[in-house]
Amino acid sequence: MRLKVWGARGSVPAPGPEMNRYGGNTSCVQVTLASGEELIIDAGTGIRTLGLDLASRRRIHILLTHLHLDHIQGLMFFPPCFRSDAEITIWGPSSPEASLEDRVARYISAPLSPVEVRELPCSVSFRDTPASEWEIGGASIRSQAVTHRGPTLGYRITDAEETLCYISDHEPALGSPLDDLEPEWISGFDLARDADLLIHDCQYTDDEYPEHAGWGHSGVSDALTFAQRVAARRLLLFHHDPLHTDGFLDDLHATARRRWTELGGDPAAVEMGMEGGELEVGSVAPEPAVEASLGRI
Amino acid sequence: MPSPPAEDRTSPPIAQRPLELILARNLLTNLSTPGFLLDSAATVVFYNEAAAGVLGRSFEDTGKMSADEWSSTFGPLAPNGSPLEIDRINLTDAIRAGRPAHGEFRIRSARGTEVPIEASAVPIVAAPHGSSGAMVLFWPLEADGPSR
Repeated sequence: MRLKVWGARGSVPAPGPEMNRYGGNTSCVQVTLASGEELIIDAGTGIRTLGLDLASRRRIHILLTHLHLDHIQGLMFFPPCFRSDAEITIWGPSSPEASLEDRVARYISAPLSPVEVRELPCSVSFRDTPASEWEIGGASIRSQAVTHRGPTLGYRITDAEETLCYISDHEPALGSPLDDLEPEWISGFDLARDADLLIHDCQYTDDEYPEHAGWGHSGVSDALTFAQRVAARRLLLFHHDPLHTDGFLDDLHATARRRWTELGGDPAAVEMGMEGGELEVGSVAPEPAVEASLGRI
Repeated sequence: MPSPPAEDRTSPPIAQRPLELILARNLLTNLSTPGFLLDSAATVVFYNEAAAGVLGRSFEDTGKMSADEWSSTFGPLAPNGSPLEIDRINLTDAIRAGRPAHGEFRIRSARGTEVPIEASAVPIVAAPHGSSGAMVLFWPLEADGPSR
């Protein structure tokens, strides 16, 4: 299973020269399965440039974690949406309030959008994620509700004996320290358990977190503790705060690796989500050669 | 292995609690009103420190308790101190029917004292799996009890 990050930013796009290395686009990850099938997780602004790479791809699956704008904003600018030969299936969380299509259509409709969902040239279908595991392109996929604001999913994708877990927006330590909880009471535990690669929310430093408790995101120590509790083999810290510059994120990365070492882990197993970064899910984590670790994951 | 040792990688899968139950437990943990949490099988899967103060035993001591274990340990009891069948109190009926309910009865603390209480129960229902259990808040009726 191969993975490419097209957007690692959280909340709102953050363009600017001081953001160039980690990138300013919001959440979007491309997963290429052993069968060659492509999955796209989240449709933040990063999906726009990904769409340019999928010019000949007819069938596309998009897994949405939730419908906050930083996870769907790119949909309206996703080039395959404007190709009549494209068949797009959008998976996402159910809600008792309205269908997935109706909720997405609140964005892709006037006055926020010049087009309506029904006017898109592609063939698009909306599917609530099933309660049980399902299959796409030979991979087993499971979703589970996780602690965030509003209905929000994490995904576990198992393909050719490799497991990727993606929980981009997650505050598992809200109200109870993770160290003290039994596994069954930790949001997302079963989903992330033993993952070869865990992509997890790390929007805040530990100093910033108390000011944002309850906003649905994690501080770095909680992200690391969660990864430790679920015994993830590698951790990709994700959903960077829009105020965090490249230099700031370099420091956060160094802090995270130091703390992971204090927890008894290999610091090379902790990486930062970086726009353009690519990796094999099951590969051994690289040695922390400074330039390489900062440039490409 | 690059990750630090944590949970046993070879242990069997755990039964993850539904998110709404996890959130309810987090809420109860941070309340000073006594409260407990039932799962869909009516097992008491958590009670908070304030409840432990009334019951006389901490949740860490008791662990989760089936309905039978709970009733034989703490009640409910009638005003004369005789045991009430847990299936016959209005709270149980309402929770099973997915309705909120309020009731008065007595409980027996681990210290051997009987405590008259009022209790309010709210079913926890969420898509896609329906009922996950119920959250029950209660408070002693003595003049010096909390919230009274």
